[in-house]
Amino acid sequence: MAEIKEEEGPSITEKRITTHRKRERIPAIYFAITLLVVMVVLFTIGNRNFLSAYNVNTITSYSAILLVVGLGQMSTILIGGIDLSVGGLMSFVSVVLVIALKTIGAWAFPLCLSVGLMAGYINGTILTRIKIPSFIATLGTGGILTSLALLVSPLPVVVPASSYGLLDIVNGTLIGMPNLLLLTLVIFIFFYVILGFTTAGRNIYYTGSNIKMSWMSGIDIRRTRNFAFMLSGLGAAIAAMMQTCSQFGGDPTMGKVYILQSIAAVVVGGTALTGGTGGAVNTLIGALILGVMENGMNVVGVDAYFQQSILGIVIIVSVALTFDRSKTAMIK
Amino acid sequence: MKAKKPVLELRRVTKSYPGALALDAVNFTVWESEIVGLIGENGAGKSTLMKILIGLIQPDAGQYELRGNPVTLRDPANAARHGVGMVFQEGSLVPNLSIMENLFLSHEIGFRRFGFLSRRAMRETATSVLSLVKVTSDLDTPIADTTPAVRQMVEIARLMWLSRLYRQENPVLILDEPTTVLTEGERKTLFTILTEIKRQASIILISHRLQEIVGNSDRIVILKDGRNVTEFEAEHANIAEIENRMVGHTFAAERYRENEQIEPMNEIALEVRNLSKRGVFEPITFSLRKGEIVSLVGLVGSGKEAVCGCITGLEKPDSGTISLHRKKLALGSPSETVRAGIGHIPIDRRSEGLALGMTVADNVNLLVLDKLKAAGLINPPLEKKNALRMIEECRIKTPSFSAICANLSGGNQQKTVIAKWLSSKIQLLVLDHPTRGVDVGAKEEIYRLIRNLARDGISMIIMCDTLEEDIGLCNRMLVMKDGRLVSEMSCSLARKPNPSDIIALIV
Amino acid sequence: MPNDVPSKSRINEVGWLSKSAAKAGLWIRRSGIGGQLLSLVIVTGSFAIGTSGRYLSAANLQVILRLASIPAIIATGLHQVVVLGGIDLSVEGVVALCVVFVGFLARNRFNTNDVGLWIVPITVGFGGLAGIINGLLNTKLRIPSFIITLGMSWVLWGFAVFVSKGQTIPLLKNPLSGIVNGNLLGIPDLALIAFGLIIVIQIIQDRTRFGRYLYAIGGDEVLAAQAGVKVEKIKIAVFGIAGLFYGLSALFLAIQLESAQAITGNNLLFPAVTAVAVGGVALTGGIGGAKNAALGALIVTALNDGLILLNVNPYAQEAVNGFVLVTAVALTIDRRKLGFIK
Repeated sequence: MAEIKEEEGPSITEKRITTHRKRERIPAIYFAITLLVVMVVLFTIGNRNFLSAYNVNTITSYSAILLVVGLGQMSTILIGGIDLSVGGLMSFVSVVLVIALKTIGAWAFPLCLSVGLMAGYINGTILTRIKIPSFIATLGTGGILTSLALLVSPLPVVVPASSYGLLDIVNGTLIGMPNLLLLTLVIFIFFYVILGFTTAGRNIYYTGSNIKMSWMSGIDIRRTRNFAFMLSGLGAAIAAMMQTCSQFGGDPTMGKVYILQSIAAVVVGGTALTGGTGGAVNTLIGALILGVMENGMNVVGVDAYFQQSILGIVIIVSVALTFDRSKTAMIK
Repeated sequence: MKAKKPVLELRRVTKSYPGALALDAVNFTVWESEIVGLIGENGAGKSTLMKILIGLIQPDAGQYELRGNPVTLRDPANAARHGVGMVFQEGSLVPNLSIMENLFLSHEIGFRRFGFLSRRAMRETATSVLSLVKVTSDLDTPIADTTPAVRQMVEIARLMWLSRLYRQENPVLILDEPTTVLTEGERKTLFTILTEIKRQASIILISHRLQEIVGNSDRIVILKDGRNVTEFEAEHANIAEIENRMVGHTFAAERYRENEQIEPMNEIALEVRNLSKRGVFEPITFSLRKGEIVSLVGLVGSGKEAVCGCITGLEKPDSGTISLHRKKLALGSPSETVRAGIGHIPIDRRSEGLALGMTVADNVNLLVLDKLKAAGLINPPLEKKNALRMIEECRIKTPSFSAICANLSGGNQQKTVIAKWLSSKIQLLVLDHPTRGVDVGAKEEIYRLIRNLARDGISMIIMCDTLEEDIGLCNRMLVMKDGRLVSEMSCSLARKPNPSDIIALIV
Repeated sequence: MPNDVPSKSRINEVGWLSKSAAKAGLWIRRSGIGGQLLSLVIVTGSFAIGTSGRYLSAANLQVILRLASIPAIIATGLHQVVVLGGIDLSVEGVVALCVVFVGFLARNRFNTNDVGLWIVPITVGFGGLAGIINGLLNTKLRIPSFIITLGMSWVLWGFAVFVSKGQTIPLLKNPLSGIVNGNLLGIPDLALIAFGLIIVIQIIQDRTRFGRYLYAIGGDEVLAAQAGVKVEKIKIAVFGIAGLFYGLSALFLAIQLESAQAITGNNLLFPAVTAVAVGGVALTGGIGGAKNAALGALIVTALNDGLILLNVNPYAQEAVNGFVLVTAVALTIDRRKLGFIK
């Protein structure tokens, strides 16, 4: 009976929340794949050489590095956060790698990996312990990392010719396939498996989809968020190493463009900024779309800087299409 | 008092939600200068009625008249301009603004002097408006730093001022459970003030506390199952009769599958010793046997939610121990309690129970992912198998195991939450209003599941929407009042207590 | 929540002592600049000692004021978005585009355009327009401001470089140069302009309906809308006003540097966001005003100037700024409002 139990009166926020409509949504990835196919077809019609081996190689190399940093970025977006420090981290790793190659040789690679993991761990800790939203925390740490990169080396540095042998890990080939792509494939599989087929990875989805429920269901949401940011650090570090090796030199400003591009690759692939939906395959498609787009725009002759603008628009449109507005009443 | 004109009239108002008729041709009238007590069971349609009154929702059919003119209220702001306002339970004042700023928010136009707001004019008006409700706090205090009592008064004052601003004679104020957050003294003050305000306004009072309603209103309206049951002058009211009217019919034995109720096993499952949380509930000791269903009843603020929160690890108690099958639990950590085998069906399944954007399988398998692995990795065929098994067992109606949870009906969402806990090996389940917002058919299914769980030896702590449901489902009932355990009674099949006996203990 | 609220003002039960204590506490909290003033004193004090007084020389103080002016103007625009509970990361893009337009419209060697003093409303207007676009995208598409403004920043920046073809346009002496580079009684004109703007915004925040609504939305958007505040309109207006301030900064920067190039916009965002946070404008909204933003800009500039005097590596200074930003946000943010942090 009755008035014994609490009955909740009308809540003010109710109106907004109840307007959430139930509807079957077509998964965003189909849009992404369609977009990719349409773009490839259009560019192929416009330019006979578009599918030439050379051009395909250009696109895949571009997409490969983007994919690796994008996969990391995606992990943080899947939990509903974002990592704006990937740019600073990539710059930092880039110069550290070159300098470390000179001094400690092959140990430079594990060193850089741990730098990436460490940076991710710090981001995650700021998020979970000091409790600052990731977009501002990583803006701060990204700034710190950028200045550290410039502190290590204010100017681009080249890998000494004596260390070229070590760069084969990225630049070499194995059974006819460039190592760069093989490496990317390995990392893609790594992320695909971690996110899709391990408990830690699934917890990222649960946390992103409903963090309160996850907490109440006994998921260690602190560790999960830390893990996601460490994945991001890992991805950024590996991407920076790939880029540095393939260019035979480090650049303390190299990462900046990747902030935007990694976010673009993730959201174009259909991973929603609200978290919980999307995945490695989405980001693969997203990275390819951006690769094809960049290449296509170059071929058509779109100004390099104007491409930045287009990328910005692409992000806004993709976010607008994928953002789950039923999750919050207030959009700030 | 009867020679007055009606201010607000609802005629044959009907509102239905998918699967439920919330209001069925309800008539509701408020006269000038009176306090109306509105009471009814949960789900009787009170909240729907209130929402219609302030324009949060629109009725499907029926007429809404104010001072003799038909109106359509678009939203609460619009309702306020028509002199109908509501003091919300959770408050609707902006916390970082001061008392004065909140009082006039979005209606400051009259205080402009040369384009700037005149603080002096605002202050003068605020002082006079607040004197009506006897608030003497500093006008610049941010609302976040005031007591619930002051906030409530400021809201009342704001509504009164708005009606004056828009020249609405005799405004109608709706107070939803105004006393739950107040101290004893504040309650008295509130009713003194309401009696004074009554001279120039009408008040709709909604409260759990029947005495309060009987003692302070002029007229009492009872709703049941979305219909008018009766109304009478408060002078002639007696609580026992109201209770009877509210419950309406006599106890339906079969509704809660009581025939499937089993005697709990002898083994003690959960033991709570001297558990306490300062200011919320006093040391409490009780135990649950294996397969026993214990119902916690009490008003809001009786501390029952906090007790459950401590058991599920969502809240941290100040002292005491909780042990499950003789193993002491780490307190205040959901991951520890979940690992120990305590499950929790939260009251708000959308925000606390489910990952709405994920599939049924994902939700059902959340707790058992580690068991669905082959070669160290989660194995999709095993996932599918487990999901299908649970969908079958809990009779979740879903187009497929990979359907998105947001697209299921409320009842099936709830069954998904239950399935999540069932698939892991839990010993104790805390059910917080498991049938809230669920249609009749799904309710049946949930009762069936609860009975099955008990048969499997799972102990349950349950808090229900209605006392009737509590009595029907449980083996034993713990009654809490003001943070203390006041009574414990058996609800074995043979001796189900009478709801009105329990009400007497609670109120 | 209701139960653990300190009972500062129960009905009819307020003693004069508790009342005046509450009032004093209220003043500090409300004006919210106590901590900021203190940190400014600490910063200047320690640098004064560290540089054996050189830091406090009139010349250096003048430098600090001059350097603080533009960040203060930007922060005065930006902080209003933060008060709403959002953020505006589009500063660099808006400034870049406005500077490039200054290059097209002000007197220079490459073209014959010269709009004279019309340059002021035109540039400022461009900034405002960009801000309004931010606001429209934020409210109409219902996407969080941080991603919208981040995207817009890139869009505008790319567009700025594109239309300027990446070139630097040296400007000729402008009628405004005197104002931008001059001093009045030893105080840089620019600082006076910034001061004036800060006062105007502060008064708007304190004394107008617009100001009330700004804080109401920052406090609780849903409740504000419920009370009848036109939330979307105010939001768009605030983004627009922020844009006006960026446009003005762009104009001053171009004239100060006597050249128009898109990269002028680079590295403006970080100091501005840091200033806003250091000033005590909580990222969660509803707290802090123009005076906080301005004071924040002053503290950040004073800090950087001191580091320069101490010959600290400029890149290390940047890193210091990063730490300052994170720390300031950590101190001012209202975590109750955020629930679970992502």
